[in-house]
Amino acid sequence: MSHRDRPSRCPFHVTANEEGTPPRRRFLRGLGLTGLGVGLAGLYPGRVLSAEPLQTPPQGKEVTSAPLARDPQLSWPFHGRHQQGVVTPRPATGMVVAFDVLAGDRDGLQRLFETLTARIAFLTQGGRYPQRDPHYPPPDSGILGPDIPPDGLTVTLALGDALFDQRFGLDAARPRHLQRMTGFPNDALEAERCHGDIALQFCANTLDTCYHALRDIIKHTPGLMLVRWKQEGTVPLLPPSPGDFDGSARNFLGFRDGSANPSNDDAALMDELVWVDGTGENEPAWAQGGSYMAVRIIRNFVERWDRTPLGEQEAIFGRRKMSGAPLSGGNEQDVPDYSDDPEGHITPLDAHIRLANPRTPATQHNRILRRPFNYSNGVEANGQFDMGLLFICFQADLDAGFITVQQRLNGEPLEEYIKPVGGGYFFVLPGAINQQDFLGRSLLNATA
Amino acid sequence: MKMHSLKASLMTAAALVLMALNVQARAAVSAEQLVTPIAEYKLYVLDNLDQLVDHTRRFTTAVEQGELDRAQSLYAPTRVYYERIEPIAELFADLDASIDAREDDYEHGVADPDFTGFHRLEYGLFHNDSTDGMAPYAKGLMSDVNDLDSRVRDLTFPPSTVVGGAAALMEEVAATKVSGEEDRYSRTDLWDFQANVDGAREIFSLFKPLVAQQHPDFVARVTKNFGDVEKTLAQYRTTPDDPASGFVSYDEVSQADRHALAGTVTVLAEDLSTLRGMLGLD
Repeated sequence: MSHRDRPSRCPFHVTANEEGTPPRRRFLRGLGLTGLGVGLAGLYPGRVLSAEPLQTPPQGKEVTSAPLARDPQLSWPFHGRHQQGVVTPRPATGMVVAFDVLAGDRDGLQRLFETLTARIAFLTQGGRYPQRDPHYPPPDSGILGPDIPPDGLTVTLALGDALFDQRFGLDAARPRHLQRMTGFPNDALEAERCHGDIALQFCANTLDTCYHALRDIIKHTPGLMLVRWKQEGTVPLLPPSPGDFDGSARNFLGFRDGSANPSNDDAALMDELVWVDGTGENEPAWAQGGSYMAVRIIRNFVERWDRTPLGEQEAIFGRRKMSGAPLSGGNEQDVPDYSDDPEGHITPLDAHIRLANPRTPATQHNRILRRPFNYSNGVEANGQFDMGLLFICFQADLDAGFITVQQRLNGEPLEEYIKPVGGGYFFVLPGAINQQDFLGRSLLNATA
Repeated sequence: MKMHSLKASLMTAAALVLMALNVQARAAVSAEQLVTPIAEYKLYVLDNLDQLVDHTRRFTTAVEQGELDRAQSLYAPTRVYYERIEPIAELFADLDASIDAREDDYEHGVADPDFTGFHRLEYGLFHNDSTDGMAPYAKGLMSDVNDLDSRVRDLTFPPSTVVGGAAALMEEVAATKVSGEEDRYSRTDLWDFQANVDGAREIFSLFKPLVAQQHPDFVARVTKNFGDVEKTLAQYRTTPDDPASGFVSYDEVSQADRHALAGTVTVLAEDLSTLRGMLGLD
C-alpha cells in the first residue's frame, strides 16, 4: 500500500511581520500613563493599543489535521527532488536527533552522507535484513521483529551552521540564511540541548519505528558522528468521525495546535513558502529543493497553566480552547478575521495567533509550515513535569519565517507559561533524485 | 499622614478610571469595591520599593567597596523586597531579566555576558567568595532598581494582575523555591520563600473581605495554610520564632519539611488561582 491509498489530509500552521504591536509585557514597560494613579485601564490592555488597519484576510481553510490512523505498511517514496518529512502528512510520532560530525575530512563526510542515504532508503521502505551467523551480533536491534515495516517512516537529513566551518571547506556554499540559533528574550537555552553539525528528523506511526531507525543509523555510522541531543514527541491520533471536520491535534496546553497552517498539499504554496526553489531567494544552486528547519524544545509549565482561568488561556492564544475556533468567530479551520477589531477588543492584540500571523498582506510571506510534536521527558527538581512542545517548522527563508515570527512573539503573555530550552536551525538538504544520487552530493560537488 | 493623603489620591484616581471604563464585574463584587484594595496594594508595593532601593544601595555599596562579609550578609535581606512584589516587578520583562535572572536562563550560564543582577553577584560573592570584578554588576543592579522604582510609580495597576499576583507568587515558590534552585550559591532560599509568601498573603488579606461572606471555607483554608507554611518556615529562623531574624541555609531543611512545604504551597496555588474568578476578573 502506498501513500496514495491513504485518505488525503493536510498537515500543519501559519504565521507572519508587523512593527509596533507591543504585547502586554512590552506595553507595560513603556507605559507611564497616570502617575500615581491606580486605575483599571490595564484590565483590557488591548484597549489602549492600536494596530494598523487590516486588509481582507486570505481566503481558504487552513488546519493541521491530526494523524488519522496507523498503517504499518504505509510508505513514502524516498527518491525525489525534495526529502520526505517536510510536507509529508505528519504521523503520530516524531523525533529530532542532532549530531556532532566526527569525520575528519571531506571523504569521511561523503562516506557519512552516502551511508545515511543508504540506510534511510532501506528503512523508509522496509524489508528484511540479510541473515547473519548467530556467532556475530545481529544486524539490527530486532525491536521490530524480522520484517521491518515502513510504518510511515520518514528520515530527514539537515545540516547545522556548525558544519560550514573550516573542517570540510563548505563555507563558501553556506545557505544564505543558515545561522546559529541565538536566544530570544524568554529563552533559557541549555547548551547540551542546542545546535549540532547535522540533525535527523525521524517521523513514523510509532516511536518504536523511530528508535529502530535511529539505532540502525548509529550502528552504521560509528566514528563518523556522535549524538549531541535527542528529543522525541507524539501527537494524538484522531480517528475520523462522520460529519466532523478535520481538527488539529492538541498540544499539552490543551489547545489545538496546527490551526491556520498553510496547506501541505498545495504544491504552489509549498514552493512559495517552504522550498528553496531558485525564485528570488538568492540561494546557492546546490540548495535548490531544500528548506530551512527550525527546531525548538519549548517547555510548558503545565501545572501553572492548569491553574489559569480559562478566559485568560483563551485570550492568550486568541482561540477557544475546546473548539479551536478563533475568538473572531467561526470554526477552527476558518481564517481569523481581525478587520473589525483593530483595537483588540475581541482578539487581544497580544494574543499568540494574532502576533504570530497578523493576517496582513505584508506579513503573508512570513508564514511557516509547522509540524510540531508534544514531548514529555520526566520530572524537574521541583517535582513539576518537563513536558511541552517539540516545535518544528519549515520555511524557504529562515529570517523571514521563524525568526521574524518569533521576534513578533517576544514579550507575548504566553511567555509566562513556556520556556524554550533547546533546539537549533538546520538546512534540509535537497532530495536524492535516484539510486545513483546521495543526500549532500550537490553540496559536495559545489565545493569540490 | 503622608501615606494617608497618598492613598486618598490613589483612590480618587482609581475611581475616576473605573467610572470612565465602566468595568464590568460579573460576580457579587462591584468594580468600585476593588478600588480600595488595589490602592492599598499599590501603597504596599511602593513601600517595598522604597526599601528595595535603600537596601540595594547599601548592598551594592558594600560590593563596590570590596567588603565581602558585609555584601554577603546584605544579599538575602535586600532581595526580600523584590521577591515580595514580584507580580508587579516581573511585568517589566527586561528589568526582571537583568535584575533577577538565573544562570539557567542563559545558554552560556555564568559565563554569559548577559547574565547580570542579583544572581550574578551571588555567584561572585558566594561561589568565588570575592567581590573581584563585581563592581560593574553592582552599579548595573542599582541602576536597574532605580529604573524599576520609577516605572512602577508610573504604572497603572491592572486588577487581574494584582489579584492574580497571589497565585503567581505561590507558583514562584512551587517552581523555584521548594527545589532550592533560586539561591544555589548563598543557600538563602528561605528568605525568598518567606518574601513570596508575604507578598501573596498581603494580596489575599486585602481582597479577603470581598469574598469572606460568600466563600468562608476558602478563606478559612487559605488562612490556615498560610499559617502552616509560616510555622514551618519559622522553625528555620536563626532565632526561631523571632520574625525579625534571618534564616538558616536551605540545606538544613529536612526532607519531611520540604515535602510539607511543597504540599501546602501547591494547595495554596490551587486555591489562590480561583481568587480572580471569585471576584469576576479575567
